[in-house]
Amino acid sequence: MDMVRGSGRDVQAELARRRAARARQRAEYAAACAEQQEILAASVGGELHQHLADAYRRSAECHLSSARLQEAYAERMTAWAGDETSRPRFMTGVAEACGTPSAALTLMNADHGQLSVASSDEPSRAAQDLEFVLGEGPAHDASVSGRPVAASGRAIERRWPAYGPALTSLGIREVLTAPLRTEGSCIGALAVFDPGAGPGTADTLTVIADALTRTVLLGPDADPELYDGADHRDCVQQAAGMLSVQARCRVQDALALIKARAFTDGQTPEAVARRIIDGTLKLAQGS
Amino acid sequence: MTTAPHHLASVFVELAGGGAPGPPGVPTLLARLTERSRELLAVRATAVTFAPGSRDAPQVAASEAGVRRLEQDAIAWQEGPGHACRRSGRTLGDTPLNGTTARQRWPRYAPRALRLGCTRVAALPIRGHLGPVGSLILLASRQTPLTGDLMALGQSLADFAAVTLLREHEVEAGRVLAAQLEHALANRVVIEQAKGALTARHALSPDAAFTVLRGYARSHQRLLTEVAREVVEGRLDPGRPRE
Repeated sequence: MDMVRGSGRDVQAELARRRAARARQRAEYAAACAEQQEILAASVGGELHQHLADAYRRSAECHLSSARLQEAYAERMTAWAGDETSRPRFMTGVAEACGTPSAALTLMNADHGQLSVASSDEPSRAAQDLEFVLGEGPAHDASVSGRPVAASGRAIERRWPAYGPALTSLGIREVLTAPLRTEGSCIGALAVFDPGAGPGTADTLTVIADALTRTVLLGPDADPELYDGADHRDCVQQAAGMLSVQARCRVQDALALIKARAFTDGQTPEAVARRIIDGTLKLAQGS
Repeated sequence: MTTAPHHLASVFVELAGGGAPGPPGVPTLLARLTERSRELLAVRATAVTFAPGSRDAPQVAASEAGVRRLEQDAIAWQEGPGHACRRSGRTLGDTPLNGTTARQRWPRYAPRALRLGCTRVAALPIRGHLGPVGSLILLASRQTPLTGDLMALGQSLADFAAVTLLREHEVEAGRVLAAQLEHALANRVVIEQAKGALTARHALSPDAAFTVLRGYARSHQRLLTEVAREVVEGRLDPGRPRE
């Protein structure tokens, strides 16, 4: 049994350290390229070289942020005693880097439906569930517009009539979201809750979101599973498949039924799904 | 070789990806490099090969179709000035195509190039961060040597294009990776939904449902996700597992 406890701890810590080292190398390399372009900027075609230098500087910043996130995770993993209930989450470090305990990462499909979620704590996960269930919220908006979305206080309830009041009832007063941008598309959003009044919080969030997109979710060293921390809502999808057969409806409609039930019962979609799977909840009429 | 500075500047803008809305894409940049370097250097023809990864098949562009076919064949033969230059990362200086060196080193390339009306060749490396990623091949038909300022300007064009080409390549690679990630995640969703549908239809456990799906896909040589999608849409029932 002891073999299972904390399984993979040292392996994952070592993996994170190696990724950090490679990210630092890439950062150094990009910084060297930036310097080279800055020297060239002083000669022919100055503006273009300056443009390239700026791109390399941003790239270096990205890799450096990524290295720090990996190092933070490696440290947490090494310090972890192996109790599964307190297994470190990669997202904890992401939240910390943004100056808050609560951060949520959502990967979305082209229709902005949630495909994969990861969060640092209970409030951020609850907020993510609300977006999933209600189909509106800051991650959705940031992903649609490709721009950061910020709202606080009353503005939260005005902007999202269903999600807003539900979010503030969790005690959350401010939300800040940055899109996960790639060239020509957006693969999701990073949201932080109650980040406080730190200087440049929105800028920090954008840098962290870019670092996650370019080096953690995509790229040669990518791990979109976030060290097994990503949740694909497998049991909700399974329950939707079951319900579509029982209720003789399309799977999208079955999914909508599960979400509606979760909202009216004040339960997580996973809790509703588990009851459908074990047969204790019948949502199909006549079944 | 005299060129008005404003023309030169506009060429650099073009090679940096400017001049048109949206990202230009690697093929467009390669075509621009061959076209503009032929004009600026006043040579008979130019060609470019570009292979950003060591495993990538080189992409080829040329200022005329005959030369493009020759360079494509040269890649298959693994011979010719472009091949040598791309491999070594070193400039290949002015070489007469009817000379002994050319005919011995490039027994297939040299005669074809001569038939296309080219008498001399030189090749300049396209330099990437970690080594050569391609070559710019200059083909001349006059006795004017491919040396001095002409080679220097050619190398500047190649260096400038290299930066844009590599960035554009990175952008394209990123786009592919994003699409692959979304695809993988979406596949996972439909497979879970199909598992659920089968558990409801045949009173199976989710694991048994997956075994049925995988077994059906294998025995019918079909993609698991395709089978799963048809199950979810109610168009296919792979049935219960056989005892």
